[in-house]
Amino acid sequence: MKYGFFPGCSYSSAAGYRESIDAINRLFGIQLVEIPDWNCCGATALFSLNEFKALALTGRLFALSQASGFREIVTVCNACYTTLRKANQILSNNPEIVSKINEDLSKEGLSLEGEFSVRHYLDVLYNDVPEETWSENLTERLKDYEVACYYGCQFTRPWGDIDHMEQPTILDRFIERLGFLPVDHSARTICCGASHAISYAKECRLLISRIIREVRAKGGRVITTICPLCQFNLDSGQKGISNPIPVPFFTQLAGLALGINASELGLDKLLVPINRILSRKL
Amino acid sequence: MDEKNLQNRFYDTPYGRKILKCIQCGTCSASCPLTGLMEHGPREIFALIRDGDMEPALRSETPWYCVSCYQCIARCPQEIPVIDLMYCLKRMSIEYDLVPDSHKIPDLYRAFSQVVGHHGRISEAMVMAHYGMLHPLDALKNISVALELLKRKRLEILPQQIIGRRWVAQLSDREKVRKYIK
Repeated sequence: MKYGFFPGCSYSSAAGYRESIDAINRLFGIQLVEIPDWNCCGATALFSLNEFKALALTGRLFALSQASGFREIVTVCNACYTTLRKANQILSNNPEIVSKINEDLSKEGLSLEGEFSVRHYLDVLYNDVPEETWSENLTERLKDYEVACYYGCQFTRPWGDIDHMEQPTILDRFIERLGFLPVDHSARTICCGASHAISYAKECRLLISRIIREVRAKGGRVITTICPLCQFNLDSGQKGISNPIPVPFFTQLAGLALGINASELGLDKLLVPINRILSRKL
Repeated sequence: MDEKNLQNRFYDTPYGRKILKCIQCGTCSASCPLTGLMEHGPREIFALIRDGDMEPALRSETPWYCVSCYQCIARCPQEIPVIDLMYCLKRMSIEYDLVPDSHKIPDLYRAFSQVVGHHGRISEAMVMAHYGMLHPLDALKNISVALELLKRKRLEILPQQIIGRRWVAQLSDREKVRKYIK
């Protein structure tokens, strides 16, 4: 299993995301080949300010991926995932824009043609790693550990092709496959405020606490996420709350289920500590 | 400001005419996580545009509150791409110099864009440094969390520099390309 990899700007400082993904890749022989010299995807900011710039940035990424022989790009962030897919869609319907971007790209010796498949690492772990591989490698220590899955906004929306737009289940199914007990709750795709939490902290805090309250009410002992920004907002947004709920990445839970040592999964980087709960239960 | 011209400009954008299908049901406004902060929800913005009240629509804070969560698109019974229209309004308000001064998100997005322009990638700390020059209180509020991140070796001050950063920096602002976008 070998893929072009777009880590995105938040990956290296995210709480143990890289550590846990590296550990899983080593175990299963998954190769994520980093697109050389990748740039920021531009996210919602660039699309709000200047569409051509936003498309040129993503166009450069696709061209770099093409140059390294990858038509399939794996991302680990919801914002990167939707931004790249959106750009891919616009570019494949607008050859005039592609040729303008190519004029610019030729200065770097790059060119862009054709379409790309953009995937999330969750999709890879759930669909490309066979179910038997998981069951053969799992430890059974995690049974009945209640996990609330939080998908965020930009994984299933706006296309709703990977899963249902408002009531997705793929992460719940993945978590169940790992041996955890996914709890049913209604905050799976409720917005966490994304980058607006910087400028409108008080207002976004309400969004975050709505998610936390719902998870607590439904008995979730941890909230697992698939996006660095969701993780950061839910993790840092619980400051001052009594009995905060830990927010590990889905890859950290997968690592635990696979029997990988907690210290290799970067769990100590979470703001709300998880170790106490884990040692009690495991 | 010629309102009729602006209205036509809006209608000529890729999804502009889709608002003519809007039945004013308000599902978008009811689904929006930040609707409570908006003077006009998206439904009212569409009503303003259809009435030709372009200046209040473009001066509105509503598109800048939009977090792109796509909840409205998931639910709109008329399949109107509300978020894409919000992007369009934001870019038009920049073009016609009607960005609402009162809103902080334009500054955040510009800070983000500046850091991308300088380095090719961003670090949260660098975006915050640029944005914090205009909104120091927001930056101060984040100092305690920054220290927490530092303690856990998660604070990157400088973004990683890419070789292609000159290319990124010189990206021409050829906004005219917009008219080609289908």
